[in-house]
Amino acid sequence: MVDVPDSAPAGGHVSLLQAVAISKSFGGIAALADVEFDLRRGEIHALMGENGAGKSTLMKILSGVYSGYDGAIRLDGRTVSFANVRQAEAAGIAIIHQELNLVSELTVADNIFLGREKRIAGLVIDRRAGRLAARRLLERLGIDLDPDARVSALRVGEQQLVEIAKALSLNARILIMDEPTSALSPAECERLFRIVRQLAADGVAVVYISHRLDEVMQLARRVTVFRDGRHVLTRPIEELTEDAIISAMVGREMLAADYRTSDVQGEVVLSVCDLTLSKPYRGGWREVLKGVSFDLHAGEILGVGGLLGSGRTEILESLFGAAKGQAGGEIRVHGRLVDIRSPRDARRLGLALVTEDRKTQGLHLEASITNNVALPLVSRLAAFGLRSFRGERALAEGAVKSLGIRCSGIDQAAGRLSGGNQQKVVIGKWLATRPRILLLDEPTRGIDVGAKREIYDLVFKLARDEGLAIVVVSSELPELLLLADRILVMSEGRQRGILRRADASEERIMQLAAPTAAKAAA
Amino acid sequence: MSGILRLVSRTKLYWGLIAIFLLGVLSSPVSSKGNNIFLSYGNLLDVLRQVSITGLIATGMTAVIITGGIDLSVGSLMAICTVVTAMLLTIEGGTPAAYMGLPMAGLVALVVGYAIVRFIFVNLEKSRHGADYGRDVTLDRTRGLLIPLAAGAVLAALLIFYLVPQTVTKFGVPGVLIVAPCVGLFFGAVNGMLIVGGRLQPFIVTLAMMVTALGIARLTAGQNNAVLPVYTGTNAVAEFDRLRSLVFGVVPMPGIFFLAAIVIYAAVLRFTPFGRYVYAIGGNEEAARLSGIEAGKVKIITYAVSGLLAGIAAVLYVAQYRQGKPDAGAGLELDAIAAVVIGGTSLMGGRGSMAGTFCGVLIFGLLSNILQLHNINSNLQLVLKGLIIVGTVLVQERNLADLLNFVRMPASRPAPKDAAERTPPEKMIHNTGGNIK
Repeated sequence: MVDVPDSAPAGGHVSLLQAVAISKSFGGIAALADVEFDLRRGEIHALMGENGAGKSTLMKILSGVYSGYDGAIRLDGRTVSFANVRQAEAAGIAIIHQELNLVSELTVADNIFLGREKRIAGLVIDRRAGRLAARRLLERLGIDLDPDARVSALRVGEQQLVEIAKALSLNARILIMDEPTSALSPAECERLFRIVRQLAADGVAVVYISHRLDEVMQLARRVTVFRDGRHVLTRPIEELTEDAIISAMVGREMLAADYRTSDVQGEVVLSVCDLTLSKPYRGGWREVLKGVSFDLHAGEILGVGGLLGSGRTEILESLFGAAKGQAGGEIRVHGRLVDIRSPRDARRLGLALVTEDRKTQGLHLEASITNNVALPLVSRLAAFGLRSFRGERALAEGAVKSLGIRCSGIDQAAGRLSGGNQQKVVIGKWLATRPRILLLDEPTRGIDVGAKREIYDLVFKLARDEGLAIVVVSSELPELLLLADRILVMSEGRQRGILRRADASEERIMQLAAPTAAKAAA
Repeated sequence: MSGILRLVSRTKLYWGLIAIFLLGVLSSPVSSKGNNIFLSYGNLLDVLRQVSITGLIATGMTAVIITGGIDLSVGSLMAICTVVTAMLLTIEGGTPAAYMGLPMAGLVALVVGYAIVRFIFVNLEKSRHGADYGRDVTLDRTRGLLIPLAAGAVLAALLIFYLVPQTVTKFGVPGVLIVAPCVGLFFGAVNGMLIVGGRLQPFIVTLAMMVTALGIARLTAGQNNAVLPVYTGTNAVAEFDRLRSLVFGVVPMPGIFFLAAIVIYAAVLRFTPFGRYVYAIGGNEEAARLSGIEAGKVKIITYAVSGLLAGIAAVLYVAQYRQGKPDAGAGLELDAIAAVVIGGTSLMGGRGSMAGTFCGVLIFGLLSNILQLHNINSNLQLVLKGLIIVGTVLVQERNLADLLNFVRMPASRPAPKDAAERTPPEKMIHNTGGNIK
C-alpha cells in the first residue's frame, strides 16, 4: 500500500519533512540543541553519530514517541505535532526500532496486522483475508516469506523484513530504520538493501540510522551527522568520504592505528579437538557444531567468522560450559585435558566469556558498576562469609581507570551507561578475574566508532602486552581482518578452514562462509 | 524541585508508614479516661504480636521474590509444622509427627554440619592464598568432602541422640524449636530442588507443594482433620508458654523472633556474597550464571529458608493460639506476598529490601488494627485491604508525574487509550495501535 500520488513533483528538491530548531532535554541535560533535519521524497537519508549524539531522540520526536520539545516539525510544509505514535502513523511516519517488536508465537500475517486485523462482521478475525493481504504486501515488496510462518521460526534477518512489511502496511511515506542491520548476515543485509532501494524508488523517504560506514556509503543519497546533540553536517554522499564522516562524528581525525602482528607466538594455551555440540530439537537432537579443532597460543588473537547461525557463538558457549545441549570433543587447557561443565568450571580454568548480548547475558542493568564488575569475585573476596566492600570497590575503580569507562562514579547503575561503556564494564568484569583465555562474542556490536576503536586497542594490548589468548567472534569482516592473527571460518556448524592473516580477505572469508547449497548453485 | 521529589520517592515507604500511623492516631477512639486507644501500649503490642507470624513468612518470601521466584506453599508448610509441633508437645511415643520430624531433622543436621565445616575449610584456604583473587580456591577430597561429611554425620547423630528419648515422654521447648523448623526447611528445600533440578516455574512447583503439604498436614493430624489442642501445664510442658509471653515484660516473644529474623536476613542480604547473588539472580539470572555463580544453589537456599521461617512461625502460632491444625496457615502466603509487594519489592525480581518488607508488614498490620478498632465489618475490611494494596503499589511503582498522567490522560483526550502514553519513555514499545473501524 505504498501510495504515490502521480501529481508529486518528481525529483524536485522539495522537503517532505522538515525539523526546524528542535531542542529537547531530559532532566536538565540537553539531548538535542537546535537541530535541523530535512528529508526529501524518495531519498535514503543516513543519520549518523556516536551513541548519545541525539539520533534516536530526534527519531522518537518525529515518530511521536516524545511529545514535549522545542522547535517545529513541518510535514508537506504544514507544521505538525504528534501527541503519540498513533498520530505519527496516521501522518505516514513509521519507525522500526533497533529491538524488534514482534509477537514471536504469532504468524507473519498476524504480526503485520496486529491490532488492525481484518474482521468478519466486525467481530471474528478473518484470517484468510489477512493472509491474502499479507501475501500481496510481501510480494509487492519482493520479500520471499510465508505469511503463515511463525515469527519464532524465522531468522533475525527475516524478522526484520516482517517489521518493514508491518510498517509499510500502514501506508508509511516516511520510514525510519534504527540500526536495521546490527543482527544481520551480509546476505541478509544485501536483501534488506535491495528492498530499501526499491522502497525509495517507489517514493518512500527512508531515514537510515547506522553505525556501519560501508553500508551508508553504498546505500545513502545524503548523510546527516550529529554530535553531542548538535547538527554537524548534511551533505550528498558524493561529497563525503568515510574518513570525513568519521571525523565529523568524533570531532577529531581518527588515525588508522597500526596493529602489526608479531609473529612470535607463545605456548599453546588452549587446544580444541573435534568439538561437537548437539541441541535438543523437536524431540530429537540436532548437531549444531561438528569437527571444530584449533590450537590457540598465548598472545594470539583467533578470529571466528561465518554467517549468523553458523555455529560461531556455539563454539564459545561450548568452551565456556554455557551451551544448552550435549557437548563432545576434547578440550585441553595448558596441555591438560579438562571437562568444562559449567561457567564456574571454565572460570576456574582461567577462561572468560564476554557474551554477545550485554543486556540479557552480561549485565545486571539496575545494579551499580561495582556490583557488576565484582560479581564473579564477590565470593572469592569475602572472608568468612562477609563481603569485602573495599575489595569490590577497588576492582571497580581499577576497571574504570584502566578501561576508561566514562561514568559519574562506580556507584552509577550499569543500565545508565552508554553502549560502549556498558561493554567495557562487561570486559572489566572478566578481566578482574585475571583470565588467561578471553572469549569475545561480537565485542563491538551496537557501539559507536570511538568506543570501537578503544575496544580494539584494548584487545591488542591484552594479547600483545599481557599474553592473553583471545578468541573473537564477529560478523563484521573488517573487524576480523583488523584484529585476528588467524581466522577460523564456520558454515552450517562445520569448520570450513582457518585462514592466516596474510591469506585472508573479505572475499576469501565469504567464499568459505557461504552455505553448501549456495555454493552448488554458484 | 526534582531533588525534593527524588527524596520523597526514595523514602516513600516510610512516608506510607508514617501516614498510616498518623491516620491511626487521629482516627482512634478515645477511652473513658481520655487516652488514645490506638496509641496505648497494649494496642501497639497487639499489633506487633499479630504481625509477627505473617512477618516471619514475609521475611522468607522477600528473598525468594528478589530472586524472581514466588513461594505459595508457605501457608501449608506452616500448617504441617503446627501439627507436628502440637503433636510432639502433647502426645507420647511414636506419632506420625515424630516419624516425619526426626529423620528430617537428622538430614538437615547432616547438611548443615557439612556446610559449616566445609565453609571453614574454604575460608582457611582462602586466607592462606591472601589477595590472589585471580584464582578460585579448591579443596582436596579429604577437606572438601570427607571431613565435612563426617562432621555432618556426627551432628546428625548427636541430634537424634538428643531427640529420640523425648518422643517417649513429650517434647520440650528446645526440641520442638529444632524439629518444626527442620520440617519446614526440608519441604522448602524440596520446593527449591524441584524448581532448579526440574527447571520448573516456581509458581507451579510451590502451588503443587501448597496442595500436597495441606494433604500431608491433614494426614499427619489424623482423623477428622483433628485440631490438636495444647494446654500448657496439663498436656504439655509449662515452659511452652514463654513463647507467647512478654520478654522482660516489654516485647512479646513472637515480635522478638520476627525482628531478629528480619534483621539477620537483612544483614545476610547486605553483607554476604549469598545476598549479592540473590539480587544478581533476580536482576539477570543468565548473566549471573555466566559469571560462574551457582544460581541453583542460591535459589534452593532461599526456598529452604522460606520453609524454615514458616516452621518457626508455626511454633509461635501454636504457642499463641494453643493449638495446631491443618488449616492454620490458610491464605497466609497471600498476606505475606502483599506485605512484600507493599514494601516495594518487585515481583519481577532483582529489586527489594527487608526494610521495605518490615514497613509493608507494619502498614498491613496497623491498617487491620485501625479497622478493628472502628469495628468495621470484617468483610468490608477485606475490600478495604485489597484497595490499599493496589493503591500502595500504584504509588510506589510510578513517579508522581507519571501517576498524574495516568489520572489525567483519559479525561483530557477522548481518543482510545494508547498504552504507549503511559509507558515510561525508556520502556517505550512501538505500538502500531489499531484503526478500529
